[in-house]
Amino acid sequence: MAETLLWVLPLVPTVTALLMVTTRDRRILSALDVGGSTVLLALTLVLAREVAAGGPRALGFLRVDDLGIVFLLLLVVLTLAVSIYTVGWIKQALEVGNMKAEFLWSYFALVHAFVATMVVTVLADNLGVLWIAMEGTTITSAVLVGYHGHHHGLEAAWKYIIVTTIGISFGLFGTVLVYAAAAAAGVQGSAGALSWSAIMQVAPTLDPGIVRIGFIFVMVGYGTKAGLAPMHLWLPDAHSQAPTPVSALLSGVLIKCALLGIIRFQTIAAAACGPAFPAQVLLVFGLTSVVVATPFILAQHDIKRLLGYHSVEHVGIVALGLGFGGPVGTYGALLHVVNHGITKALAFFAAGNAIARYGSRDMRTIRGMLTVAPIGATLLVLAALSLAGVPPFSIFVSELTVLRAGIGHGHWVTIAIFLVMVVIIFAGLLHHVGAMVFGEPTAAATREPEAWSPLFGMMLLAAIMLLLGLTIPASFDGLLRRAAAIIGD
Amino acid sequence: MIGERPLGLVLLEMILLVLLGPLVTGIIQKIKARLQCRQGAGVVQPYRDLTKLLRKGTVQADTASAFFRFIPVLVLAATVAAGALVPVIRAGPPAVPLGDALLLLGLLALARFLTAIGALDAGGAFGGMGASREMTIAPLVEPVLMMVVFSTAIAAGTTELGALAAHHGTSSIVAWRAADFLGLAAMLLLLPAETGRIPVDNPDTHLELTMLHEGMLLEHSGPGLGCMVLASHMRQIVTLGLVAALFFPAGPADAAGAADLLLGAGVFAAKILVLATYLALVESSYAKLRLFRVPQYLGVGFVCALTALALRIL
Amino acid sequence: MVHTIIDDLGALLLFTMILIVAAGQIYRAIYAVAAQSLLIAIAGGVLARATGNVDLWVIAGVTLVVKATLLPWVLHWVVKRMNVRREVEPVIPVAATLALAVVIVVVSFQLSASLGPVRQAITGNALPVGITLTLTGVLVMATRKTALTQMVGLFASENGIFFTAMAVTRGMPLIIEIGVILDVILAALVMTIMVLRVRSTVDADIADLDRLKG
Repeated sequence: MAETLLWVLPLVPTVTALLMVTTRDRRILSALDVGGSTVLLALTLVLAREVAAGGPRALGFLRVDDLGIVFLLLLVVLTLAVSIYTVGWIKQALEVGNMKAEFLWSYFALVHAFVATMVVTVLADNLGVLWIAMEGTTITSAVLVGYHGHHHGLEAAWKYIIVTTIGISFGLFGTVLVYAAAAAAGVQGSAGALSWSAIMQVAPTLDPGIVRIGFIFVMVGYGTKAGLAPMHLWLPDAHSQAPTPVSALLSGVLIKCALLGIIRFQTIAAAACGPAFPAQVLLVFGLTSVVVATPFILAQHDIKRLLGYHSVEHVGIVALGLGFGGPVGTYGALLHVVNHGITKALAFFAAGNAIARYGSRDMRTIRGMLTVAPIGATLLVLAALSLAGVPPFSIFVSELTVLRAGIGHGHWVTIAIFLVMVVIIFAGLLHHVGAMVFGEPTAAATREPEAWSPLFGMMLLAAIMLLLGLTIPASFDGLLRRAAAIIGD
Repeated sequence: MIGERPLGLVLLEMILLVLLGPLVTGIIQKIKARLQCRQGAGVVQPYRDLTKLLRKGTVQADTASAFFRFIPVLVLAATVAAGALVPVIRAGPPAVPLGDALLLLGLLALARFLTAIGALDAGGAFGGMGASREMTIAPLVEPVLMMVVFSTAIAAGTTELGALAAHHGTSSIVAWRAADFLGLAAMLLLLPAETGRIPVDNPDTHLELTMLHEGMLLEHSGPGLGCMVLASHMRQIVTLGLVAALFFPAGPADAAGAADLLLGAGVFAAKILVLATYLALVESSYAKLRLFRVPQYLGVGFVCALTALALRIL
Repeated sequence: MVHTIIDDLGALLLFTMILIVAAGQIYRAIYAVAAQSLLIAIAGGVLARATGNVDLWVIAGVTLVVKATLLPWVLHWVVKRMNVRREVEPVIPVAATLALAVVIVVVSFQLSASLGPVRQAITGNALPVGITLTLTGVLVMATRKTALTQMVGLFASENGIFFTAMAVTRGMPLIIEIGVILDVILAALVMTIMVLRVRSTVDADIADLDRLKG
């Protein structure tokens, strides 16, 4: 049962994408969108229960374990939220003229193709298939980033596709090196030498020199896709120029899928060269990301660019958590993956609402949102508070866990720098958002009532965010522990 | 095992190079003319030019020093001496150790230096300009040639050209290592620079803006000019002989019989002919580079030679 | 025997790489990368003959058709049709880029010399040459302002990875190599469309747009 689900899961968004081609009606497209996402979510929950009960399942070059389930759950929940949000957003975009009605199907089809490639990325056991799917996500999302067709979007899309394709070429090179090491260590069959599970079994016997170089290539490569500094330069552009639902998927899920790629190689490297080496590399990149992102967050005017730089910082935090290591660090990192994904998507949705209402991205022109759009403004404030790390929201919990891991392993300097950065960002973010929400609304604000579907999507996410901040349900906790154990092994 | 070359053979080879040098220039001119769809002068025209120059009188500038008279002879002597170091008919080190490839390059550099000194000595504008341009090119060309020699010499363990050629043996291309491809590429890129041909310098022109080598010859006249022209022919054939010895050593005979000597000479002539055709084709296909682009062009040769050396060492 | 042929092909690949870095006009860069892909296809054929691995024949054939013929032809067509600027504009002087290329060659040879036992798993010089090609391709992408030259750099980079992958003693699985080639084609198509899109609306090169800052 679970095995068939493995190949059905990527098929669902593919079929949805193909179905989108058949119609032009906005309502049917939206219905297909939400329907496809719901089916995906249901199937994933079934698969999660199977894996929790019976352990990892594999079929050919697809494999699912608890680690994969964590990322998969994030992906499908966000896909559903994005679908719900899009229902109202598309209507507004059509009115304003950002989208053309006769090409709507291409947008929906691309989004679901994008989701399908991400599903394959998470489920892939074969490292080569992982790479191919990653490149697939780059291609589909690059088209989506430039979808609106104006020059800023095309410039962002060009930078995105060039930088990330270079990046994952490095990743491919690293994969080839690890493959060579595995082949030399005598893993059976050429397909076997690319299979993560097969490599893990012989990992301690791999030649550490080649695995070391391979891991560095992979770190640079997939790290580019994940948005780690100093390879992050494409991220603020791409995430800000893309249509809002796409931004949510990019920041919420795609960079996490790249992180999963890194984690897969980290486990191999830890077994072959000892855990200290990959941890060191991750710490360096993580801290660099956090430090580099901070000044840009403070100096931003464009709200979506601000959120893009924020993603860089939070990916750095996840890398720090993985670098600190141990059960606490890894647990914290995985929890942060989920929390940040949900919160960032919520933030993008709220920002998208604000941009639509005020007709501009510049935060200096958005004032007094609380008066014109109370629910939207409240959600924006909640998202910002969560992103800044305020309790009782989810990000506070995961950041605290990562901090505890760092202190427990004695990385005092890193922790100190990290805390300083977090405090600065807290101040900056609240300053920006506070200015946007309070005060007198500017004349540019449209006063129409808030659309229900975007709000519904946002409230769904906010509820999860709050829930995870207050308490972590036992089943989810168990899932995270098991996933952390896979990495920590 | 290929034995040594007796001194008599070495002197014979040297004289052969002197005699054949102008012929090579004539052949290149003929090929260029044919490619331009005209008849062109005969292949032996350079000989006629040389004899004409020997008959004429010498005119020397008032501002030139007494040393200026000796420059043509010294330049010719340097290039002819360099010719003695190139294995022509047979491979193998000479019976009396004469010098290696570095000495050859040094002699060619000496000739270049003396030509430039002579051009500056007369105090004319063209001479000074030509000399300064030539000296801009020289520091890029000579190290590359040396690097190519080194990369070939590492495998043989000696820089003596005859021994190098003998070490490569009678097998031809298949014995090439990977680094040889890059070394040959570097040499081919530098050949127009060393022989003063397009795309680095135009040997047919006497316009101020386009002269490098020709500019330095303007002050000489009569037999002096004849010596300088013969020296440039020698330089050309010596460089081509260097390429042949480094990269195409197949052919030189083992034994000392007359038939074998003729065969060796014939093979050498064929190799020189091929390289001369290459030069002619390059001259006809490209335009002269502007002076400040020449370092970029030579830089590519430099990188090729450096990579060849790296491939050999690492 | 195979070792020496792979070494020779490696040297020729390095030569084409130097040509790409030093190319002053976009046409020369396109021809150089086409020649490079041709050499990769030949290497694939040689390795297929030597190891008896049938997959490598397929890969060599696909490389020949796609990367040595089709993609350069597409680039050539774009240059001619769209009247793109023919000169390649470097961000740092070409001499500096060449110097960096030499440094990359030396570093990658040193690196692979220090790798020891697993070096045996990869035939001949393929590992250092592969690393050199990949890094130099990235160098070209980073130091050139023309969009099409950046794409040439991308193709060169992929060539390097392919060369190493083919020379790994047991060969990469066919499905992976086909997938990689497909991805490269798709990426190239998307990039070409973007270049044409921008060029048709504004007479500028897409890689020149720099309004997004900060």
